[in-house]
Amino acid sequence: MDTKLIKEVTDWLKTTDLAEFCYEKDGDCIEVKTREALPEPAQFTCSLTAVCAPAIGIYKTAAKGKNLVLKEGDTVKEGDSLGVVESVSKQHPVTAPVAGKLRIIAAEDGKPVEFNQPMFFIEP
Amino acid sequence: MSTKVTITPFKKVLIANRGEIALRVIRTLREMNIKSVAIYSEADRNSLHVRMADEAVCIGAAPSPLSYLDIDAVVTAAKVTGADAVHPGYGFLSENADFARAVTKASMVFIGPTAEAIDMLGVKSTAREIALKGGVPITPGSDGVVGKNYHEVARKIGFPIMIKAALGGGGKGMRECLREEDLDRMMKTAQGEAKANFGDDRMYFEKLVLNPRHIEVQMAADNYGNVVAFAERDCSMQRRHQKLVEESPSPFVDEATRAKLQEAACRLAKAANYRGVGTVEFLMAQNKEFYFMEVNTRLQVEHPVTESVCGYDLVKMQIQIAQGEPLHVTQKEAGAVKCHAIEHRINAENSAQNFTPCPGTITEWIPAGGLGVRVDSHVYTGYTIPSYYDSLIAKLIVTAPDREKLLSRCRRCLGEFKIGGVETTIPFHQKIVNNPDFVAGNMDTGLIERMMAEDKKASESKK
Repeated sequence: MDTKLIKEVTDWLKTTDLAEFCYEKDGDCIEVKTREALPEPAQFTCSLTAVCAPAIGIYKTAAKGKNLVLKEGDTVKEGDSLGVVESVSKQHPVTAPVAGKLRIIAAEDGKPVEFNQPMFFIEP
Repeated sequence: MSTKVTITPFKKVLIANRGEIALRVIRTLREMNIKSVAIYSEADRNSLHVRMADEAVCIGAAPSPLSYLDIDAVVTAAKVTGADAVHPGYGFLSENADFARAVTKASMVFIGPTAEAIDMLGVKSTAREIALKGGVPITPGSDGVVGKNYHEVARKIGFPIMIKAALGGGGKGMRECLREEDLDRMMKTAQGEAKANFGDDRMYFEKLVLNPRHIEVQMAADNYGNVVAFAERDCSMQRRHQKLVEESPSPFVDEATRAKLQEAACRLAKAANYRGVGTVEFLMAQNKEFYFMEVNTRLQVEHPVTESVCGYDLVKMQIQIAQGEPLHVTQKEAGAVKCHAIEHRINAENSAQNFTPCPGTITEWIPAGGLGVRVDSHVYTGYTIPSYYDSLIAKLIVTAPDREKLLSRCRRCLGEFKIGGVETTIPFHQKIVNNPDFVAGNMDTGLIERMMAEDKKASESKK
């Protein structure tokens, strides 16, 4: 391979605002792409904060005698109650770690949860 | 049998443990057509017991106080999975009376003795009282502080004795006294030390057992007053009370002593109103006199040794007793010696460096096999040993018709067992099975320490 040519081409490319440059010799083919033509990089970052079960037990949306209805899309403040996980001798409160919108409710009232099982996803 | 027999078969049992013992229990449950529930901490997500159980639930974070020792979490796990009984395994909560109580309170069966029995036998003084009540020999002592007539007290106990400060601790104010000629002198130095350290020179005496053996007797008791005892296990090969090799029958125990040991264990179980399987530990002197040490109110690590010798599944026996079944074996069947067995505890530890734990990832796993070989382990190639729990990674149980053939087989098995990625106790076990004292059956609880001292001396002289 002609390394001298490669060096010359790369040096020259730095002086332009081209993003891609293809070159074929005998078929006479030149392909050029400007920066604007490049596709936007895909966004894979997740902005949701998971709320996980503090203990193994039965999830209850509200303590006995109280009523709390949570719907997807609800707005919550940091520290708001999201219910309790009941074990045989304790009540483990579940609270919102951040303020935001309740995007996904994965926990079901009266159903068992394992330790650290995701129960809610909040979009801050 | 005057009491009415009520049997409640279990449908689902939760195993409140991890590692090889959780697998061990799951295997028997499967043979009995009982569903199994495994519990695990976040560090054990990839553990074999999680994969092998019918169901598995995560109960807490990696450190055991937040998971395997959390009574509330374990009982809740059993409750939410609909288990009707809990098997505690060994270690963790297995000898915790509060746990047994919590399981019972949550309307499930604790597979083990009653909380009261665990409580009574767990405290040294009450356990000694029960032993006395059952006519089981206990280490003789002065039963309290000695007075001016201490010569007479010492003579009654019989030399050698141990002189101990009433308020003592940490080895201070403690003297061995081998002969009566030394008694005045030893008493004076011990008293001087006690006075200087604790401001109190009151002393008591205990019988000193020189070069003792650790001999233990497995027993099983049902709800109807039936008790059987199995052939003894010799667990003298231990380092700082950590057993390394267990053997049954003991090469030191003859037929007559075996019968005495079994009778003593049965009397103690009856005196404690014991239910389930348990182990009575004795200290045996060189003249074959034995003294009660303690009762382990649970299944023991070394139970496969007894299973091999008698041919019965002790976990199955535990479950049957907990279901309310009467014992299915007679004393004659339980006490039968069908072969000779040895268990080698293979730990992820560096025996050349004072047995320091070596957690890590297992890169190669080739267990020993062939006739008379059983390997109880939760390890597989690629498994990472978490650093949070004990370092036992496998139990190699070898059986043969007699001790000589057994030792050849042990040497063969230890040679073919290959574990890569972590240091293990296999090289030390190879030294044990070639040690002249061990080969001759002359073990006592100090042998391993002596072997380590010799090793150290040999490596220092090389330098």
